[in-house]
Amino acid sequence: MKIEIDESRCKGCNLCTVGCPYKIFQAGKKPNRKGVLVPLLDRPERCTNCRLQHLYGRVLCGVCQMTCPDQAIRFRDEKSGEPVKVAIEY
Amino acid sequence: MSYEDWFRQDRLPHIYCAGCGNGTIINCTLEAIEEMGWKKEETIFVSGIGCSSRAPGYIVTDSLHTTHGRALPFATGVKMARPGFHVIVFTGDGDLAAIGGNHFIHACRRNIDITVVCMNNQIYGMTGGQGSPTTPKGALSTTTPFGSVEPAFDLCELAIAAGANYVARWTSYHVKELTKAVKAGLENPGLSFIEARVQCPTNYGRRNKFKQVLDQVEHLRSHSMLRQKYLQHQERGDAVPDGTIVVGEFVKRNRPSMGVPR
Amino acid sequence: MTKIEFMQGNIACAEGALAAGCNFFGGYPITPSTEVAEHMAVKLPKKNGTFIQMEDEIASMASIIGASWTGARAMTATSGPGFSLMMENIGYAVMTETPCVIVNIQRGGPSTGQPTMAASGDMMQCRFGSHGDYSVIALCPSSVQEMYELTVKAFDLAERFRVPVFLMADEIIGHMRERIIIPDTVELTTRRPLVPGVLPFHPGDDLVPGFPEFGKGFGVHVTGLTHDERGYPCATNPKLHEQLVMRLYNKIENARKEIADYVVTNPDAEIVFVTYGSPARSVEQVLHDTGNKIIGHLRLKMVWPFPEHAIAEFPNATRFIIPELNLGQLAREFDRHTSIPVVQVPKLGGDLHLPADLKKLIGVDA
Repeated sequence: MKIEIDESRCKGCNLCTVGCPYKIFQAGKKPNRKGVLVPLLDRPERCTNCRLQHLYGRVLCGVCQMTCPDQAIRFRDEKSGEPVKVAIEY
Repeated sequence: MSYEDWFRQDRLPHIYCAGCGNGTIINCTLEAIEEMGWKKEETIFVSGIGCSSRAPGYIVTDSLHTTHGRALPFATGVKMARPGFHVIVFTGDGDLAAIGGNHFIHACRRNIDITVVCMNNQIYGMTGGQGSPTTPKGALSTTTPFGSVEPAFDLCELAIAAGANYVARWTSYHVKELTKAVKAGLENPGLSFIEARVQCPTNYGRRNKFKQVLDQVEHLRSHSMLRQKYLQHQERGDAVPDGTIVVGEFVKRNRPSMGVPR
Repeated sequence: MTKIEFMQGNIACAEGALAAGCNFFGGYPITPSTEVAEHMAVKLPKKNGTFIQMEDEIASMASIIGASWTGARAMTATSGPGFSLMMENIGYAVMTETPCVIVNIQRGGPSTGQPTMAASGDMMQCRFGSHGDYSVIALCPSSVQEMYELTVKAFDLAERFRVPVFLMADEIIGHMRERIIIPDTVELTTRRPLVPGVLPFHPGDDLVPGFPEFGKGFGVHVTGLTHDERGYPCATNPKLHEQLVMRLYNKIENARKEIADYVVTNPDAEIVFVTYGSPARSVEQVLHDTGNKIIGHLRLKMVWPFPEHAIAEFPNATRFIIPELNLGQLAREFDRHTSIPVVQVPKLGGDLHLPADLKKLIGVDA
């Protein structure tokens, strides 16, 4: 699974940057076509939910998705690709 | 299945300002409803007028977007006519406590089996930031340009005193806790009142020293105090800092209620 | 088997509602309409209906609209001061096309006025009381029998046109006891349901959209904001707003002739009394005393939409005399539609026009 930000909905409020325990969401710097500073994803493969939702069969954190007031954050199934190596920071 | 299925995708993005917490509260409420496993045909959303009350328009179920402050009597009509329906009311602080104050206390007194989610942003957002009954003392708004001089309502205490069966308060920062509280409210028969304190960056934060959305959310986080801790403070006679938001479950009881399916 | 009973007007109204299948009543006590609520409180629970006494008239009106959207046949009863409070949500019912029946047993106003005396002072309020332009249906009974019949009719019209329908009785009719014939069954119209696949506010040929009842999976969003055919708010689109308001207006006005309900007596007369509500009874007495030949009588059972074509029923008329329990609210409307002189006979205070006074007015000795 992977995190996706829907640019057509994001209003650039940066609320997602507070909630994530991994600080995956970083404040955007470049305005997009609508002039919105859409947050950037910093190594999104670290997201617990993305890695383990299928294994546990439930949403594990999902705080970013719940917090996003504009319903712009989604978890999407990835096409079965190569397993991604994830460096866990302690 | 996820709570995203409850949105009218064709109507999104919604009209709320960037950083407004209302969207978060809708997410949490829908997530709680999704966890309940309710059918969309049997779930009715009712709202009054204001920012918060636009919420039902973004939800796929049958919904009533009614007149200012009157969401609760409309919901009472729906629930009494068809007790089998699950009725959820979205409302705001002005809608519920000012113009709808009488309806609110009577809905609590009747203890009618509906769930009320109040998005309390402490201001009239849609009309441009006028002081509301929950605007704290000293806060600036367009109608309190020198700081509000009126004491503010504590909506939770009001609901408890009027007889609601379930009362809780959380903020838009506490998404997981809020979801759980809404779910507990949905499960509990009788009137469940969940106050969600939300940030209003455009009309409240801007005038009250929260330059960024995140400043106001940080304020909601740092000033929240669990009710248990608050009660301990009170027992010991310790002073509670000004502006503390007491969060948590206030009451969960089983008074006789109306509109519960037989 | 029809039943013959001796009944109070308010009770007859409640019985009529029950016969018409009313299964939700939200109300608030107010003299002189309270008997309607009291009777419903006794009868509705036995018929598996819901009676609820709300905290005020605003809430009463709100509750019946909420109930109506779940498919209930909903009604409330009130009098002047409560009626004023209901105006907000009556506008909502018009905008959202919610079928409901509002009984107004009128009393003397303004304000608290005369709680136990009759008046017809709310005739204009029921037509124009809520803000914005719209059209509604108002019925005026002038006997206990009509309290029953017109209540049934009010439900029919409400269901058919999806509009709030007013039963504008007055204290005299409400509190009067009279012989009444209760029919076995009454004919019932039910609202046309929405055809799946059609947009929830897409009108039919009669300009009335099908009803998307809650709980049937239509997922309809009902809003008092200007909305498109999907029911979504579009409050800043001038064209759409005009279309919507014109449709709400025309769905009633186009049916004006068809639904008109009035009684014509002596169409060849030159002097014609025009009445609605209890003054009709004084005029009936005048007609009786004068041999029932010379004087014409147009008795309106439906006041709104105003049946202007009824004026043509009296081709020889030289004078229309309109006795009313107000300062000429309907006389002015009547005057608007005719060049024949209209004589207003206003009466305030709660007493009915004396037949003797009316006779003096037309130059007939009492």
